[in-house]
Amino acid sequence: MSRSERGVAPTLVTGSVILLGWLLTSLVTARIPGPVPTLTLLGQMIADGTATTILGRTALFMGVCFGIAAVAGVAVGLFIGTRPALDRGVSPYLAALQAMPTSLWIPVAAIVIGASVWSLGTVVALGAMPAVILGTRTAVKNVPPLLLRAGHTFGESGVSLLRRVVLPAALPGILTGLELGWSIAFRCLVAGEIFSGTLSGTGIGAVISRSKTTHDITEMLATIIVVLVMSVLVDRLAFARVQHRLRQTRGLVDSGLLH
Amino acid sequence: MAVEVRLSRVSRAFDARGGTRLALSDASLTVAAGEFVCIVGPSGCGKSTLLDLIAGHGRPRSGVVEVGGEPVTGPGPDRIVVFQEHALFPWLTVAQNVAFGLRASGVPKDERAVTVETWLDRVGLHGSADLYPHELSGGMRQRAALGRAFAMRPQVLLMDEPFSALDAPSRDRLHVELQRLWSETGTTIVFVTHNVREAIALGDRVVVFSSGPGRAIGEVAVTLARPRVVESARVVELAQQVRGLLDEADQLGVDAPRPAEDTHVAI
Repeated sequence: MSRSERGVAPTLVTGSVILLGWLLTSLVTARIPGPVPTLTLLGQMIADGTATTILGRTALFMGVCFGIAAVAGVAVGLFIGTRPALDRGVSPYLAALQAMPTSLWIPVAAIVIGASVWSLGTVVALGAMPAVILGTRTAVKNVPPLLLRAGHTFGESGVSLLRRVVLPAALPGILTGLELGWSIAFRCLVAGEIFSGTLSGTGIGAVISRSKTTHDITEMLATIIVVLVMSVLVDRLAFARVQHRLRQTRGLVDSGLLH
Repeated sequence: MAVEVRLSRVSRAFDARGGTRLALSDASLTVAAGEFVCIVGPSGCGKSTLLDLIAGHGRPRSGVVEVGGEPVTGPGPDRIVVFQEHALFPWLTVAQNVAFGLRASGVPKDERAVTVETWLDRVGLHGSADLYPHELSGGMRQRAALGRAFAMRPQVLLMDEPFSALDAPSRDRLHVELQRLWSETGTTIVFVTHNVREAIALGDRVVVFSSGPGRAIGEVAVTLARPRVVESARVVELAQQVRGLLDEADQLGVDAPRPAEDTHVAI
């Protein structure tokens, strides 16, 4: 494993550059609060527990909605990916659905289901699903036929072949679909909060409406940082780690072994 | 343990652009129980198709494929294929790869562990049980694939150019090891290759196939003492005989006459 695959130094360097850019922008633009007041407010939010509440509630909301999208999406993707006729029938519509901004469904769901956490939750879960389904289905179709033949010759077929050969062989591609689904779900959550301040119950919407009335976006920026930290944590601690482990076991990281 | 393999007037066609292409036409072949038969022939002579049919991965258009007197209806753990590329599962360790088929056929965990250890030992990989395929050399990978196949105690082993991607020293060693494993287990082996000398070194009998469409056009019995190596003079001599059969059928695409003393017969 090379050092560049691990370690936080590159991430910190990029972060410092962004912080510097932000500072310079705030100096020339009066409306944009600088890093110092924003981070001070962020400190207060952490101290009084607001940040933790937002983080916790967002994690809960995303955990449930994305969890459903992930499990259902992978299952449907495996089902479609192994049936060519079904794939031809369904995939064009899924691709069309994926091309549409998911947030478009938020007002629709609010009218049909009612403006509640359930309607936004439904949109977030369903919105992330096409990406997961299509990612899984493509990964399944890209499984090397040789491995399937090896599975057959060693006596596997049906569900057990799916579980022991197709699923592990498709895992890297499935993970890419999940990452894409995660980011779509996250964007959809924030869009829902902009649409109506209290749908998800995470508290992000309340901050947005307060900023609208006071014209002071310091709190909003601080909240954005909380949300960003959340997505960075998920990316680094979940997706990046799993990807790295997959690459490592499958020999896609140059470990400098002598052959 | 070992069984007979019999193909009677087997044809197999594939859909190709502008119609169907016959891969095998009226091909017949009988491999006695415990016999080691090598099949040589040019590319596209239906050698791999033949293995597919015996393995049960494909069905013949006409003719009968029988293993141990029973018609083949699908894949089964009694017939194991060893592929040209090792086809090890990259997400499993060597030991897990060897255990893969045993688990599929319901061998209990304890027995599985013992069998895996035994076969890793027999193919010389006892120290590499916990390595992943990418951590092995080409020769070790194919050795792991051999262990995975033999661990299933198949009645018929179908080998599709398993050593053609290996460097010469690894290949020579695996030739000797395969002959040892075969004589110890008595498995029926059908071994497909391009390499005439490899065929002579390994087989009890070498069957020559022609292409377009594929069928057997001749055979050479090999009675030399084992283990044989590809460099031995007797192997080279017999290889020339097989080469002659291929030449006769104009299967090599070589127009230039070769001098009589040319002994480079490996294709």
